[in-house]
This record gives sequence, C-alpha cells and structure tokens, in this order.
Amino acid sequence: MLIIEDLTHVYPNGTVALDSVDLTVEKGMFGLLGPNGAGKSTLMRTIATLQSPTSGHVRFGDIDVLKDPEALRRTLGYLPQDFGVYPRVSAYDMLDHMAVLKGVSNARDRKETVETLLNQTNLWNVRKKAIAGFSGGMRQRFGIAQALIGDPSLIIVDEPTAGLDPEERNRFLNLLAEIGENVVVILSTHIVEDVSDLCPAMAIICDGKIVAKGAPVDMVGALRGRVWKKTIDKSQLDAYRASHQVISTRLFGGRTVIHIVADNDPGDGFTAVQGDLEDVYFSTLTSHRKAA
Amino acid sequence: MFGKIAAFEFRYQIKSPIFWVVAIIFFLLTFGSVAIDQITIGGGGNIHKNAPFAIAQTHLILSIFYMFVTTAFVANVIVRDDETGFGPILRTTRIRKADYLYGRFTGAFIAAALSFLAVPAAILLGSIMPWLDKETLGPLTLEPFLFAYFVLALPALLLTSALFFCLATVTRSLMWTYVGVIALLVLWIIAGIALDKPQFDKPAALWEPFGTAAFGLATKYWTAAERNTLVPALEGVLLYNRLFSLALSAGFLALSYALFRFQAGAQSGRKARRDRLATIAAADAPPPALVRLPKPRFDAAAARGQLMARTRLDMAQVFGSPAYAVLLFIGLANALGGLWFAAEDTGYGGAIYPVTRVLIPTLMGTFGLIPIIISVYYAGELVWREREKKTHEIIDSTPVPDWAFIAPKTLAISLVLISTLVVSVIAAIGVQASKSYFDFQLGEYLLWYVIPQSVDFILLAALAVFFQVLSPHKFIGWGLMVLYLVTTITFNNLGFEHNLYNYGGVTGVPLSDMNGQGQFWIGATWFRVYWSAFALMLLVLGYALWRRGTETRLWPRVRRLPRRLTGKAGATIAAAAIVFVGSGGWIFYNTNVLNAYRTNLQDEAWQADLEKTLIGYVDTPRPKIISMTLDVDVYPEEPRLMTRGSYVVENRTTQPLKEIHVAFDRDLKVSALNIQGGRSTKTYDRFNYRIFALDTPMLPGERRTITFTTERSQKGFRNRGNETRVVGNGTFVNNIEFAPVLGMERQGFLQDRAKRRKYGLPVEQRMPKLGDGPSRQFNYLRHDADFVTADITVSTVADQTPIAPGYKVSETVSNGRRTARFVTESPVMPFFSVQSARYQVSKENYKGVEIAVYYDAKHPWNVERMKTGAKASLDYYQANFSPYQFRQLRFLEFPAYADFAQAFANTMPWSENLGFIADFSDPSKIDMVTYIGAHEIGHQWWAHQVIGADQQGSTSLSETLAQYSALMVMKHMYGEDQIRKFLKFELDRYLRSRGGEVVEELPLYKVENQGYIHYRKGSLVMYRLQREIGEEAVNRALRRLLAQYAFKGAPYPISSDLVAAIRAEAPADKQALITDLFEKITLYDIQTRTVGVKKRADGRFDVTLTVQARKRYADGKGKETEAPLNETLDVGLFTAMPGDKAFASKDVITMVRRPIRSGTQTLTFTVDTAPKYAGVDPYNYLIDRNSDDNVAKAGS
Repeated sequence: MLIIEDLTHVYPNGTVALDSVDLTVEKGMFGLLGPNGAGKSTLMRTIATLQSPTSGHVRFGDIDVLKDPEALRRTLGYLPQDFGVYPRVSAYDMLDHMAVLKGVSNARDRKETVETLLNQTNLWNVRKKAIAGFSGGMRQRFGIAQALIGDPSLIIVDEPTAGLDPEERNRFLNLLAEIGENVVVILSTHIVEDVSDLCPAMAIICDGKIVAKGAPVDMVGALRGRVWKKTIDKSQLDAYRASHQVISTRLFGGRTVIHIVADNDPGDGFTAVQGDLEDVYFSTLTSHRKAA
Repeated sequence: MFGKIAAFEFRYQIKSPIFWVVAIIFFLLTFGSVAIDQITIGGGGNIHKNAPFAIAQTHLILSIFYMFVTTAFVANVIVRDDETGFGPILRTTRIRKADYLYGRFTGAFIAAALSFLAVPAAILLGSIMPWLDKETLGPLTLEPFLFAYFVLALPALLLTSALFFCLATVTRSLMWTYVGVIALLVLWIIAGIALDKPQFDKPAALWEPFGTAAFGLATKYWTAAERNTLVPALEGVLLYNRLFSLALSAGFLALSYALFRFQAGAQSGRKARRDRLATIAAADAPPPALVRLPKPRFDAAAARGQLMARTRLDMAQVFGSPAYAVLLFIGLANALGGLWFAAEDTGYGGAIYPVTRVLIPTLMGTFGLIPIIISVYYAGELVWREREKKTHEIIDSTPVPDWAFIAPKTLAISLVLISTLVVSVIAAIGVQASKSYFDFQLGEYLLWYVIPQSVDFILLAALAVFFQVLSPHKFIGWGLMVLYLVTTITFNNLGFEHNLYNYGGVTGVPLSDMNGQGQFWIGATWFRVYWSAFALMLLVLGYALWRRGTETRLWPRVRRLPRRLTGKAGATIAAAAIVFVGSGGWIFYNTNVLNAYRTNLQDEAWQADLEKTLIGYVDTPRPKIISMTLDVDVYPEEPRLMTRGSYVVENRTTQPLKEIHVAFDRDLKVSALNIQGGRSTKTYDRFNYRIFALDTPMLPGERRTITFTTERSQKGFRNRGNETRVVGNGTFVNNIEFAPVLGMERQGFLQDRAKRRKYGLPVEQRMPKLGDGPSRQFNYLRHDADFVTADITVSTVADQTPIAPGYKVSETVSNGRRTARFVTESPVMPFFSVQSARYQVSKENYKGVEIAVYYDAKHPWNVERMKTGAKASLDYYQANFSPYQFRQLRFLEFPAYADFAQAFANTMPWSENLGFIADFSDPSKIDMVTYIGAHEIGHQWWAHQVIGADQQGSTSLSETLAQYSALMVMKHMYGEDQIRKFLKFELDRYLRSRGGEVVEELPLYKVENQGYIHYRKGSLVMYRLQREIGEEAVNRALRRLLAQYAFKGAPYPISSDLVAAIRAEAPADKQALITDLFEKITLYDIQTRTVGVKKRADGRFDVTLTVQARKRYADGKGKETEAPLNETLDVGLFTAMPGDKAFASKDVITMVRRPIRSGTQTLTFTVDTAPKYAGVDPYNYLIDRNSDDNVAKAGS
C-alpha cells in the first residue's frame, strides 16, 4: 500500500506543482487523471525517488520513500512519461543491462527475465535491433518491459499511451491490466478512457491538488441523472455558458454538442445522458476551476 | 527576396549570443597578445607588436581557428530548421532554393566577418595601451590592417564558411560538420609539418588555401626592418593563391546548391525503417500469460556486476561513437606522420634509426592532443549522456548505488584512454617495423609511455568529470576545462611553476638509451601519487554531488554534501587526503627543502642581479691559469661529483695584482678554497663569488697556486631542472661545472633584450669592436687562461669507464672504484669534459694516432663510420693545415639530455641523439656522421690551436673554419654533388635566421657569436671562396694563420688576420669578392628569364639566355642598397634540372664562366645538344634570396 501524506512541492520559480497531496493507493491499478501541467509527473517522479518534495511523506509498505529511496528502488518499476534510449544498443542488450542494474545478477535469472519480457511485450522478433529505431508503441512496450524486471511490487507508468495509435494503445493496456492484478500500479494519464478501461480506483489531480478520488464506478454513479446534453449553434455557446454549468463541448457534424450538469431537468431542449467517466472528469475540473 | 532573407539572417545571427561571445573572446585573445607580454600570437623578437607582419600573422592564425566559429554561423543555417522542426513549415512556402540558401549564407557570413573585426580592433586598441614598452611598437598605419583583413582573413573566413556550409548541407548534422572541422585542422597541421621543406615552399604557397604558406613565402627571408614596415605586394603567388581560395569557396557554394534538398531526407528514411520494424514486431499471437520473474538480489556480486555493466556500456558508447573513430584516426594519421618524420628528418635530410626513446616523445607531441580531447570531450559526453538521451529517469530510479554513476564513467574513460595509448604504441611499432627496425622495446613503451601518460590523462579525465558534475551544462564543463588548460600554460609564464599547485603537474622525465629514465622517474612518480590522491578526492566529491533524479541545481546538491560524505565515502576521502598531504609534504621536503625551488622568473631575476652586482668586476685584471690539476670522483648513482683541484696561476699583466676573484657555478658547494698568500675579503654567497686580497701583491710574471674542493650533487628531487650532468650511466660534466673560473665573465648574463629592459639593464650588450686592443689579451672561451697543461684524475664506479682530456697514463681498480689519470702532452685550451659511463670501446691505431669511439652497446651502428671519417679528417687536416697535436682522438657518447657534439682537447663528446643512431641504409642521405666528426676534429685546429680574441669576429676563426674543414673532407669523400645539397640547407637556414635576428646582422668578419652567421653563412662564404680562389690558396692562408698563432696565447688573432691571410693568397681581381664575402652582407638576385633554343643549319643549336641580375648590400637591420654587380659566374646548359634526384654529370652540356653585370643581359651559346634547362649560378653558390629561379626551362 502506498501512502502519500501532505506532499507539497514548490519549484524554485514559485510554481506550486503539488499542494498538500494526500493519497492512499491499494494493490491493483490506480489511475491518476489530470490535465497537462496538473502535477502528475511531479507526483510520479517524487514517488519514483527522482525528486525530493518540499515537504510531506511518502510511504510504501514499510519503506519511508524519502528517507530511504534506495529501498524503494529495489522494488520499483518505473516507466517515465518521456524517455530515450542509448544509440546503437539493441532491445535485448538494453534489457539485459537494465536487469543487471535492477539487481538480477545471476546470468540464468537474467536470461529468463529478458526472454520472458521480450515475449511478453511482443518484442522478441526485434530483440536484436537497436531501440533507437523503434516506433512509439514499441518503445513504450520496451519501457514497460524494463519496468517489470525484477518482479517489482510498485509500478509507476507516467502517461504511457500518449501518442500511441488505437491498436498499440489497446495492446499496451491489455498488458498493464494483466500486471495490475498482483501489485500496486499507478497509471498517470490525461486520457480518461485509459482509466475507465483499466482502473478500479482513481484520483483526479488539478493544479497540484487532488480534487477527487474514489472508484470510477462510484464517481460515475454519483453523477447519474445530472448530466444533460444539447446540440446548439456555435454562436449560442457563450449564452449557454452563462446560464448553465457547461462541462464539455464537442463538435458533431459541424454543430456543437454541449454537456451540462444540473440536478434537475433544465428543459430548453436538453436531453438526459448516461454520464460516463469523462463527464465526471470534466465536471470535476470545471467545478474546481470555478472554485479557484 | 534574396536581400530580405540575407538581412533577416544577419539580424538573427547578430542577436545570437554566439556572435557576441565569439567577438569578445577573440577580442580578448588578440588584445592580450598585443598588450600582455606573456601571450604571443605573431611577432616577437625585433618585430613590433603592431608590425604589418605581426598584424598579418595574427589575422592568418586566428582566421584559421575561426573556422570553429564560421562553422557555427553557417552550419546553423542548414541544421536549424530540422532541429527546431520549423523546416516543414518553411518548405511549404514559395521561397526559392537559391534565395533560401545563398540569402541565409550571405547573412551568416557577413555576421561572421563582422565579428572577426574584433581582431583588428583589438590589435589597434592593444597597441595604444600606455604600459607597453615603446620600443616594441611601430607607427600605426591603416594599410596593414586592410591587407590583413581583406586579403588574408576574409578569403579564409569565406573558404571555411563555404566548405562547412557544404559539409553541413551533406551531413545535416552539426556534430559531423565539427568532425570535419577538426579533421581539416589536423590535416592542415600535418600538411604544414610535412611540407615544411624548401622544395615544397612554392607548391604549398600556391595551393594552401588559407594563405599562410603564400604569405610565408612572400615574406620568407624578410628581415626585421622589412617585417616592421612592409606589406607584401598582392601579386604573383600570393595573388594567385588568394584567387584560388576564392574560386574554391565559390566551388563549395555551388556544390552546396547542387547537394541541398529541400525535403528532410534523413527523416523519411528513419520513419520507413521504424514502420518496417513495427511490422516485424507486431505478432498476431496474444502474448503469453504473465509469469513471476526472478527476484533481484543485492549483494557484492550484484554491485560488481553493476559496475562492470555500466563501465561496459559507457565504454561501448565511446568506442562506438563516430567521433571517437574520427579522433583516433586523426590522431594516428598525425602520429604516423610525426613518427615517420621523427626518424626521417634530422637536419640536412638525414635519417636515424627509429629507436623507442626518440619515438616516445614524438608520440607525446603528435598524438598527445588526442587523449586530451578524449578525456575532456568524453567526460562531458558520458556525464551528461543519460540526460541527453533521456534515459536518466529510468536509470536513476533503478536500485544501483550512487557510486555506480561516477565510478564506471571514470573507469570507462580511463580504459578508453589506456587503449587509445596502446593503439598509438602499435602505430609506433608499425613505423619501426616499416623501417626495418625490429628491436621493439615493449617494456620501455609500457614504463616510459603508457603507464605515466595513462595516469596523466586519467587525472585530466577525473578533473573533467568533476567539472561536469559541478556545471549546469556540458558546455560550461568543457569551458572550465579549456580554462584549466589555459592556466597550465599561463601559470608557468607568470612564475607559478610549482607542480604542487598546478593540477596534474609532473616533473619531466627525459629519456636516454644510455641512462633509461635515470632517477627522474622518482620525483615524477611522487607527483603522480600526489595528484592521483587529489583526483580521488575530486571523484568522491563528484559522487556526493552527482545529479540523480531531477535536481540539477548545484546549491541543493552542495547542501546535502555533508550527509553524503558519511561512511565509506568519507573514509575514502579521508584516506585520499592523508595520501595527498603525506606525499605533498614529502614532495615539498624534496623540492623546497632539500633543493632550492626556483622559477624561471626567479632565475631571470638572479641573472639580472648577478649582472647588477658583479658587472664592475668584468674588466678587473686577473692572473692566468697555466696548469690545472684536478682530482674528480664521480658517484653516478647519488648523484655526486667531488673535486679536489689546484691551479697554478701567473700574473701575465704588466701590473701587480692585489686581488684574485673566484667564481663557482651557482649550485656548486665549495668546502675549501685557498689562494697562496691570499685572504678572503668578500663573498657573494648568492652568486657563489669570492674575492681574495693578496697581502703581498702578485708581481708580473709571478706564479701562485690556488687549491679548492667542490661538490656537485643533488639530494632527492627537484620541481624542475633535475641534475642531468652527473647521472647513473653517462655522466658528462665540463670543467666550468665543477671547477672555478677566476673573475667575472659575461657569459651568464641575461641575453634577451626585452628581459634586459624589464630588469633595467642596458639593452645593448655587445662584444668589443673588431680591432679592439685590450680584448686581444683574451680568447673568447675564458679570460683567466691561455693554453694550459692539465693533469686530471677521474675515479668512478668500477664498471664504468672514466674519461678526461689528455693521455691516459694509469688506470687502477680498487674498492669497487676505477681510477684513471690523464695528462696532456701539449698545451690545450682550458675547456675540459669529464665523463663516466658503461662504454663499449672500439680502438684503432692510425698513423700513430689512437682513434677510439666510446659508445653504448645499444648503438654500434656508426662506430666504423666515425672512425673512417676521423681518418679522412686527420689525413686532410695534417696534409693541408698542420700536424695533429695529440696521440689520441676520442669520440664519446653521452645521454640525449643535450643535443650537440663538442670538441675538447683530443676528446669529443657526442650526444646519443646525433650520429650514433643515424641510419645510412639509404646511401643518398648526407653523411652527417662524417660531417659532424670532421667539424669537431677541425676544432682540434680551429679552437685548440688557433683561437680568436674575445671580440667581434672571434667565432669566424673557430666555427667557420671548422665548417670549412668539414666541407673539404666531405667534398673529397663524396664529391661536389653532396656538398650542393648540404649548401642548399645552409643557404635556407641562413636566410631564414637572419629574418629572426634580434640585434643586428653583422658581416662574417664581425660576427658576434651568431650561429646563423658563423656556421651557415660561414659554410657558404668559405665554399664560394675556395671555388673562386682555389682550395689550395685557402689552405695556404690557413697554414699561414697556424704558423703565426698556433698555441701562442695572447695576443690572440682576430678575424682581420684571417681575412688578411686570405687576401695575401688571392689574386687582385678577387679582392673585391673577399670584401663582399667577409666584410659585407651581400645578397644576389639572379634570374634566368628565358632560354631560347634554335636549331642551326649545321645541326648545332644556338642558345640564348635572358638573365636579370642584381647585387645588394644589406645593413644590420636588413635595409638593402643596390650595388653594381660585375662578376664572373657559372653559366650552365643542361639536359636535366640540377638538384633533381636523377641529375648527374652526364646531364651537363656545358658549364662555363661568363661575366655577369647588373641588369638584364643576353648570353648566347652554340652547342651540339639542345639543352632542356639553362641558367646562371645553377648550383647556388651565391647567397640568393630566390635560388629557384636561377635555372629556367628551355623555351620559356
């Protein structure tokens, strides 16, 4: 179990990236949803021992992560949001290298680890190719493969699906789902579907604050019967914004479809919709921003 | 369109920081070179700091190094759009390729050219600084600046801009473009070294596109006066070269246009490869079910594995990077060239065996830059690699210990450096093998080169890694390293010389085949231990400050430093500190307590003080030594040399002497000194100078005895200047170094004019004028003796041979020491050497003279040649001059700590660097062994029989006549052809050196110990003289000189006596020539303009030569005045070019003497064979500043 208490991080330029974050993450997939710049990566890096927060505590099981980062690293698998590779190094060699770094020192263990993971991530056929030539999806699969080395009990994946085509993304999420059964997996993303497809628990982060947390099912349930939609002309949008709590707008067939939250039927041509996680997300963000 | 793009580009470039940074750096560099004495680029000596020549040189050198800058400007034009990703947007606009390319190039080039104006501006400003010595400045005029900027610098800037613009177009990569820059620079340097021979002057001047060679040729033999006032005319080779450079630039620009593609070509290829890979990777089968993977272990084995894995990866990154291959290739190319020429080009075109000792310093010189670049460059690359490749988050979050970052990276660079050095050794061995030299001294390579150099470069790498850890950016780390490398030079210049505070500073270890590393390695090793301990501390600090995770700022890392330095890290740093302090203390004890720590500046100041304090005694009357008895004990290993000696002195003045002054070598310990009837009255301890009063004045003709005991020794080691005279094997000291001189001599005074001014000493320090009366009482070697007799006993360890001048009368061995006594049989100059080494001896009795060569067992090659040369020399000199005065003639090898041969009475020490390792497997090489031997043997007459009075012209009686003697031996042994090759070298070196004259060039008969005059010009003068008046006439004159002055002592002969003797033997029509040769600085300019050949009806050929000739006299500053030429000179018609390899006497159709006068004239001949070449003075006997145009091709 990962426990984050009162975690605050202020960058030297004064930006508050994390503002008293409290979070408890149980075994299984945990989705951390938030817009770009919300502080997701700062939080991920802090948990991954790469950054010291200004204040607060992070504990994972018995480990005080900030005091003893070394202990956490021994059981950590981390896939950063944006990572590169060494030139001229093949997938096999790089995984082997990472296995050494992760403490898989026995050659037989390492062979088993590397070969299993290459198969697992469908990279076996290209194991001898330089990773530098991999496509985005392959690279992400390699990234998850290295994160799985050494059977970690905490896995952090930061924005793993950004830039993947739907097929690649699907494959990647399947892989994650399988892993998530036994260990703590934190998936940070700004794509709502990633979370709704995968995670039994989640939190929404915005402007460095956790603005909502819980199980997606419950959160969607809480919004049931309160989301309404209407198709309007683009020119009317401002008027609707003024009169209703518009949580999302999207174009459909050249016209604008708006979703609003209202406890009662607003009439005026609005129809009820079955709220989904996206509505939860947008409504949370909207109300947070209003409050701010 | 074009104009707008160019203007936009120009504005863009001058807004970039690089424009200003570069302008400021080059401004400061140039300003420093003008305004600060310790920094020089061009100029120096008699050349004004703002002389046109210095301005031109500064522009030339900096414009070449500016290629790093022009490349940044113009390559940016090409790669910018791809790097920023703006390219696709731009490419969809309607811009035309020519406008885009050339518009941008023009803007960037103008920006580069503008920033280069910092250089002339800095010279201008620097030369008006108020603190500058006015004597080092000339008038400021505009023309030299215009010439230097527009004619020299701008074309070079354009060329490098165009070339690297083109390269950037092809490679689309800044890195590869810079690889090209480095490659070009190294190639340029190599070519410069390889082509630095007179025969390549002209082709190099034509085709060397930066114009250095062309400018060099145009000003090659310029004197100081010319360099200070003239700008070379933009004509001939220089003009052609500039046009070539412009054409080349245009070519590269055109090529860029042809090669430039608007599409981002590389990009699409990468994408295709990626897609292909993705197809291979995408397997349809669902992945297997997840299994539990093996758990990690964290023990010592894992840690070892991590260290090895990281090291391997980092090494692979270096070895695999293209830049490494390029660097290594460039280094090897440079080293191979250097190694090849190290054995090839040893003056006068001779060759030597490529012995390991010679190759190692060459490797250090030619290859040494590469390990420096590698350690500095890859420290930056490796420290920043994870961040640059964005793998740092993955790697940093793995459970590797913190030391597993800095340790493997340092280890990786170290291993790379060691293997790089090993590769350079393989190159050296390859060169040895290719020269059929198979004595590969692998142990010496390891101990003398690989190990010490590895340590030094690893020290450098450790510093570089540390700086990179501190720096917020790779470039700042590199910048700090460059700054450090600059300080290593400047600190020395500023007098901060101690290796204890110059990071990585190590005492030099001179190498010798005779003496190996001697004891020099001991001090060097202590310094290496000292700095290694310091480097270890730096690395532990680097470990503690390492950037792990996202914190890159220095201050937070410094704050957590104390916490990180607990435990093993702290213990390591403490242990390193103990070694550092301990070894530092031991070093300090050795360099500053056991020995005196002295800097170059302090030595200069000492010399200045010596002069200021004791100059008053220079003309103090003194007695003369008439016999010397010396008892010298050599303890080679300690090193120590004990001397007990006595002089018998005689008052040869006309006055009674009340004082005797005794001067000892600065570091000589004097434990006893007694002068018969003398009483010590004043001692200048700092200068080891003592004054004794004679209570009973010494009357003219009276004799007294002086006895002394001295010790020359060194304990421990010094910061620099370790004892190289008394050494383990190959001790070689001369008597000045262990026995006293009576009275003050001028020899030890500061010579350099600028330094003399700096210390407030009179700048002019000239010899007495030719014909001066008082100085005729003294020879130029020393004032306290004439010819003397000597009785020298030398003892040394039993397995070494002791040698001193004189006839060996006894030799005994007892108590492990060998003692030999040497007594002179005829009077000698009091200029002795004492030697001791483990010698092989080759002896031979020749016509009553025992000829012996004492050599090291490793160098047997030329012993027979030396003996043969000695026989030929003795034969010629005895037949033509006078009998040899000794029964023995000895050559002795000494270690390569010095590079000369010297003639003491019947004993001639000869450096192992010269002659002993000469390689004569190519018979066309000039026989320098015989030549040097003949020169030194010549000194047995010209110095040891006849020696000049201590005034102007003195050395013309010894050095010039020794040159003449050797030339005659060579001429009779090898024929005139070999001598011609030799004279060509002498001519070139004379003409070059006179341009660098600092004081005043004098005619030969007034030479003031100027080597380029008494050796180089001396050879040319004497050779021409014997051609004009006949060898026998010259020898008659020399016999006359010997008969009059040999062994006579004071008054000594002067050069006028020599000239008079020659005049007496020369016909009336050669008297003017003798004046020109000896008493004037005469320069000829002979040019054969055309050679017309016309076939006659009778089958013979009419040949017409148009010849232009002139003669000029130069004054001491190089100012020339026209002189009427009216001489009879050689005119030759040939079927091959004289001087060509295949040229032989069969190629000479006719060779006649014809009168030649000033101006243009026509010479006609009728001959049987059609000549291909013809000309006046074809064999270059005249001193002609352009000796290549004497002969012209027929039909031209």
